[in-house]
Amino acid sequence: MREVTSENPWPLVIYGRRGNADALTAVDEAAERLGLHTGLALAQARAMHPAIEALPEEAEADTALLEGIADWCLRYTPLVACDGANGLLLDIGGGAHLYGGELELVADLGRRMARAGFAYRVAIAGTIGAAHAAARFGEPAAYATGGERDILHPLPLAALRLEPAIVASLARVGLKRVGDMIDLPRSPLTARFGVDLLRQLDRALGQEHEPLNPRLPVAPYVAEQRFHEPIAREEDVLGTVEKLAARLAVALERRGDGARRIELTLFRTDGAVRRIAAGTSRPLRDAQDIRALFTERLAALADALDPGFGFDMARLSVVTAEACPSEQIGIGGEEDAGELVRLVDRLSARLGASRVGRPVSLDSHIPERAAATVPAQTVKADRGWDAFRRHRAEADLAPRPLRLLTRPEPIEALAEVPDGPPLRFRWRRALHDVVAAEGPERIESAWWSEPDAQSADNRARDYFRVEDKSGLRFWLYRSGLYRDLVRGELPNAAPPSWFLHGTFA
Amino acid sequence: MIEELRQRLRALQKSTGLAPGAAEAVVPFGIEALDAVLGGGLARGALHEIAAPGEAHLAAATGFALGLAASARNLLWIAEDMALTENGAPYGPGLDLFTLAPERLLTAAVAHKRDLLWAMEEALRCRALGAVIGELRGGALDPVAVRRLSLAAAASGALALLLRAQPADDASTAATRWIVGAAPSTEQTPFGPGAPRFAIELVRNRRGPLGSWILEWRDQDERFILATPAQPVAAPPRHRPHQKVA
Repeated sequence: MREVTSENPWPLVIYGRRGNADALTAVDEAAERLGLHTGLALAQARAMHPAIEALPEEAEADTALLEGIADWCLRYTPLVACDGANGLLLDIGGGAHLYGGELELVADLGRRMARAGFAYRVAIAGTIGAAHAAARFGEPAAYATGGERDILHPLPLAALRLEPAIVASLARVGLKRVGDMIDLPRSPLTARFGVDLLRQLDRALGQEHEPLNPRLPVAPYVAEQRFHEPIAREEDVLGTVEKLAARLAVALERRGDGARRIELTLFRTDGAVRRIAAGTSRPLRDAQDIRALFTERLAALADALDPGFGFDMARLSVVTAEACPSEQIGIGGEEDAGELVRLVDRLSARLGASRVGRPVSLDSHIPERAAATVPAQTVKADRGWDAFRRHRAEADLAPRPLRLLTRPEPIEALAEVPDGPPLRFRWRRALHDVVAAEGPERIESAWWSEPDAQSADNRARDYFRVEDKSGLRFWLYRSGLYRDLVRGELPNAAPPSWFLHGTFA
Repeated sequence: MIEELRQRLRALQKSTGLAPGAAEAVVPFGIEALDAVLGGGLARGALHEIAAPGEAHLAAATGFALGLAASARNLLWIAEDMALTENGAPYGPGLDLFTLAPERLLTAAVAHKRDLLWAMEEALRCRALGAVIGELRGGALDPVAVRRLSLAAAASGALALLLRAQPADDASTAATRWIVGAAPSTEQTPFGPGAPRFAIELVRNRRGPLGSWILEWRDQDERFILATPAQPVAAPPRHRPHQKVA
């Protein structure tokens, strides 16, 4: 696919590194007329025609552009795949009737591509291989299923998506066109050129099934709406969401499903495509709830929903569905739980799912790993706190701080006896005189977790709960033991250091 | 139009605890002197500001807020990212000192003050939450935003608590404003820190009277009690028989 550059006075070629030399990777129409073609060495091209403009390729930008066009093609079918660096495959088997037929769909696609300034070739065929070959090497047209043989017959063997090496060795024995080998005995061909040759031929002929791997996962539930008059206002978008959601609800209910992740795809008239996804914490079916979810998502968008000249199509897809018993939908006795879940969904949609959390207890005795906050939408009903309370009762754990610092902060501490609590310490430039202390509670690191037991956060910790003169309470620990230093058992042991890990009320 | 204004007026009165019939919707401290000042207790369905006298006392202010919110079945704690990295996130294993089972806690981290106020308002509209705690690191508050929070709290009957790292002197429509710091606990026991104590000061009260008290949290009774006035602090005990010999 090339952008038409008619305003460019010079023939334009794009080059990139191929093997050890710069070779042309794309040429525009003017350059083509001069006899330049892709694959030609850049030096040779310059020698033939000094007056060409040569630009280095930008592979990433090309890929991004192709993916952008692929997104845009989602308006025709959800089954869109990238085909090499310059092609797209669309499975229009199911949706062509919406446009009044395959030819009308292609005409619509062509009109829009031309308007966007792209030169393109398009072919419709019954197999991926045949469509690929016809679009690149044959007459762009719509071919009926079953005619693959006729399409391929006159085309060069490169049309079969073969390795260049295989094409070259076929050429050496005089096989140049698909027709040259299509009726040859199969086993000698396989013996000489490998299984790939016949597999590609079989696939192109439809004798072997070839699935299309869509670029984006295909949603199990999809509803879409086209607009004759493009819509631009957020309200209209949300109204459309609700309408589409109501349609999805019917399909979801029939199969006993609810939506866990929903994606809204908005197609702008100028070809830009915007995808907005929202997650839910329980299977959702109600159109009002889905609308509320997207209200928050739209409000939270970092860059406003830029409608340009308007959206001419909207699609709502349920990307992830989950079984959802009907009685859960009309929440009766569990009214509170339902309200809470709705709040969690709203907050998650606006703030981000990872920002709305619930604390869970983890099976670790290292304080910072003993608890974590996990996204509330995904958290399991049992968060491990019962097990924690049982464990605490058995082990008679010392109190834990109300707030734990994300990262223990180093402090300067003065202790009276080597392994005793500190008498005073300095934290964040303020000096605290300890008037009461409780401890130590020794927490050893898991010896199996790190081979290097002397690394700073893997030493044994002695925790103290201390109170200073003004009543402030802190959770401090000494990392490492003086004993180790004195006895010289660990010759490389660093001197113990003090940290503040949390604050008590 | 007029009917709408009347309704808003009623809601406003309710949010300030001035409307008749608001007396039963309170969280009593169970401390006569304090409850008398507050008209029975801390009004539900209203916004209360709790500020630490300085950032170091924030954990104490947090504990006080949790003690007040402990009766709620579900509780949401919203804080800015900065607050969580600077002062630490609520730590599940430490919450139950304030009889708050971690299962009942929902947390939200927000990037801006604007999101904090939005999330608080949204949460206050949810009837399933008994209390919403919003933690604010600094800066003044838009009085309109605060009024919106009061109205939302009044509508749902939830306890709205605004936790601030520093006392603020901005105008506020909050029903009460407190300054809560830590108070020494050591005279209770010669061994280690005792039950947490709070020096609380009521600096603003819609109902009028102000005052200051020293409270102590009794986790076995799940409530605050009035501590005896603080005595001069004794020297740290040298003998600690409960301590393991390292």
